[in-house]
Amino acid sequence: MPHPVVCFYFQVHQPYRLRDLRITEIGKGEHPSYFDQEKNCAVFRKVAEKCYLPANRLMLELLERHPTFSIAYSLSGVFLDQCREYGEDVLDSFRALAATGRVEFLAETYYHSLSSIRDTEEFCEQVTLHVRTIEDLFGRTPTVFRNTELIYSNELAQVARLMGFTGILAEGTDHILHGRSPNLPYIPPHFRLPRTTEQVIMRHRPLPRRAEKIHVLLKNFRLSDDVAFRFSDKSWIGYPLRAETFTDWLTGGGGHSVNLFMDYETFGEHQWEDTGIFEFLRALPRIWEERGIRTATPSQVIETWSGENRSEEYDAHNLISWADTERDLSAWQGNQIQSAALQAIYALGPLVKATGNEDLIRMWRMLQTSDHFYYMCTKYWNDGDVHKYFSPYDSPYEAYRRYSHALCDLKARLGHQPTVKPHAHHKRTPRHPTP
Amino acid sequence: MPLHTLMFGWEYPPRHLGGLGVACEGLVRGLLHHGIKVTLVLPFATDSPDPIDIRFPTQKTVEAIRVKSFLSPYDSAEAYAQRIKHIPRETAQIYGEDLAHAVHVYTEMSVELTKDLSPDVVHCHDWMTYEAGVRAARHHDQPLVAHIHATELDRTHFNPNDWIYGRERWGFEQADRIIAVSNYTKNIIVQHYGIAPDKITVVHNGSDETHMPQETTEPQAKKHPMVLFLGRLALQKGPRHFLHMAAMVHAHRPDVQFVVAGDGQMLPSLIEETCRLGLQDCTVFAGKVNATEARKLYAQADCFVMPSLSEPFGLVALEAIAQRTPVILSKQSGASEVIGHAFKVDFWDTEKMADCVLTVLREQPLADQLMNEAPRVLQKLTWINQAAQVHSIYRNIIRS
Repeated sequence: MPHPVVCFYFQVHQPYRLRDLRITEIGKGEHPSYFDQEKNCAVFRKVAEKCYLPANRLMLELLERHPTFSIAYSLSGVFLDQCREYGEDVLDSFRALAATGRVEFLAETYYHSLSSIRDTEEFCEQVTLHVRTIEDLFGRTPTVFRNTELIYSNELAQVARLMGFTGILAEGTDHILHGRSPNLPYIPPHFRLPRTTEQVIMRHRPLPRRAEKIHVLLKNFRLSDDVAFRFSDKSWIGYPLRAETFTDWLTGGGGHSVNLFMDYETFGEHQWEDTGIFEFLRALPRIWEERGIRTATPSQVIETWSGENRSEEYDAHNLISWADTERDLSAWQGNQIQSAALQAIYALGPLVKATGNEDLIRMWRMLQTSDHFYYMCTKYWNDGDVHKYFSPYDSPYEAYRRYSHALCDLKARLGHQPTVKPHAHHKRTPRHPTP
Repeated sequence: MPLHTLMFGWEYPPRHLGGLGVACEGLVRGLLHHGIKVTLVLPFATDSPDPIDIRFPTQKTVEAIRVKSFLSPYDSAEAYAQRIKHIPRETAQIYGEDLAHAVHVYTEMSVELTKDLSPDVVHCHDWMTYEAGVRAARHHDQPLVAHIHATELDRTHFNPNDWIYGRERWGFEQADRIIAVSNYTKNIIVQHYGIAPDKITVVHNGSDETHMPQETTEPQAKKHPMVLFLGRLALQKGPRHFLHMAAMVHAHRPDVQFVVAGDGQMLPSLIEETCRLGLQDCTVFAGKVNATEARKLYAQADCFVMPSLSEPFGLVALEAIAQRTPVILSKQSGASEVIGHAFKVDFWDTEKMADCVLTVLREQPLADQLMNEAPRVLQKLTWINQAAQVHSIYRNIIRS
């Protein structure tokens, strides 16, 4: 039996964290910045030095040394914005990776938002914005889509197909796989979306035409999490994890492709350099080459699949994600303050867009980043367990306080805005430039 | 044979000034629940519905000891007067004009009252009882637990009366184990009393508030949002910070009313401050309130603020969340360690405190969530659970 191929995809994202806004500064038309410039810059530089720059250096070295090695990234738009603000060096290192021709960039929502579950039109516009940005930066058009935090459902797969994507990433959860391997090709159940939704997607889709079919690439969460979460865990039975052992595990599961999806910050930030994570990564392509294991990017995997007719369905009737053990959306919309904040931000959509004011639209979108809602999560917010969720703020309530102030100010600014383009939000999203 | 604890207390409901008495009663009841035999020595006569052996000096024993106490003179008359002057007036009122003397009498008679018992462990509450505890522990040759509910540093904003501070430290040193009501207090004992951290165990106070009646307010009766302070009007509790916060809230939301409940030496100066800040029309000084009145106030309040400068625990915070009131707590408090669903602010940052109050008043979903989620901790933080921790401390020191 031939070995499965290995498909590496890394998520790269940094949110714009909110400043300690005060009620006394909002609604006065003084246009305070909502974001903590200093903190965002400090975090970005710290992660750049510990992860982005050394990891990209290593990846470049590996790509140069191993001609069959390939990887994929999804860089959120707000991450790219922060590169422009705080780290052109980081952006350059990604450009260098892109220049090897063996790095694929996936599409996502520009603002790393939850728009997919709230506002289809806004969702399409943000994906379009992201696709255009990736084209500008790296000269290639993404054909595979990954949603924020791997949020996924049958419906979203159809939306992505109508947007023009041939592949979409999802978490391979046990409760949907029912004992099947995540390493096999899957398709979502085929059905039609409501006509109005189809029309919205058609008007705003990022790619020139809908895809006939779409495949789902499932994250092999056990093997991915062995690296992302357990690598340095001394109480873990697999500790210390060696590249040879990990490769044995990779091939042991069989199937078509082992999809290793993880946050890029795994390398150097979540797992510090002294854990040996870089040496581990450095050893992998060499061992794979020796054993005849190939790597492939998501679009390459899908290309090899699409030749045949697939019928194995991955049936995600409800929304899933890659977060927590629940693999659901409770990290972002599990309590009252999260629901209120989500409700409030998306309710502003038509008003914001009607102003046609680019600054306001951008600010509104920056407030959609999923991290804002994640920081308000109280799932584990009980005694003794308060630091389970990583957050730059003291508490979920502090997160909500800052967020609600920003929203109030944005609302006040909308109140002062003349509605310049009454039908602005009906306009079509700029299409792919005709060659 | 049930485990027998000989306990030295100072306050006990209904005669109590603050948290010490409430906590003592809760702990005693919790210990009784676990089948522990309790002998409690108090400086005054009291009735308890619970099956505890309460001992207190009768007129006769006090007389006898008083006579004796004159025979052992205090240091100098001057130092004695100085010491008395530094004891807060309201404390002196409840505890008797001569606190030092009362402590002395209590200590002398305590051994006398309990010398025929055979306890397994001796447990004393706050500095007033430490010497009694130490002597009894020596007499019975049993281990000593010193419980600390509030240090002299908390009460005086780190300007202690040296004599009291000295007695506290001596008690800590003599004890086999110290129980602190919070990590906040544990840190103070480590940092400011030089006690080894591994000698101190934190047992947070419990609350039986979930069994208390839930007050209901009639929504149509309310015209103005109300923000509440409840506590002794003493430096430690931060009533002045509350007023400064109120002024900032008032500037933004003139419809908000402020209620300051409690009594204390700072009342006249606080009233003056209220007028100076222009808050006289929206601030009510409610005076000292009983438990039922307090529950009503919590239930009526839209937000409860505890701006204490240094609060070993802060039972009022638990009382407030039991009435489903959103709370804003000083970070310099023990309660902020156990209440997750709350805003926590440094006591000096009145600006941020005001901002949190205004946010709670503006954002209904936030207020709702704080109301619904915060009380859950009370299910866990019962006196039965907390007494179980004390029980296991007893077993450990008895065994070693």
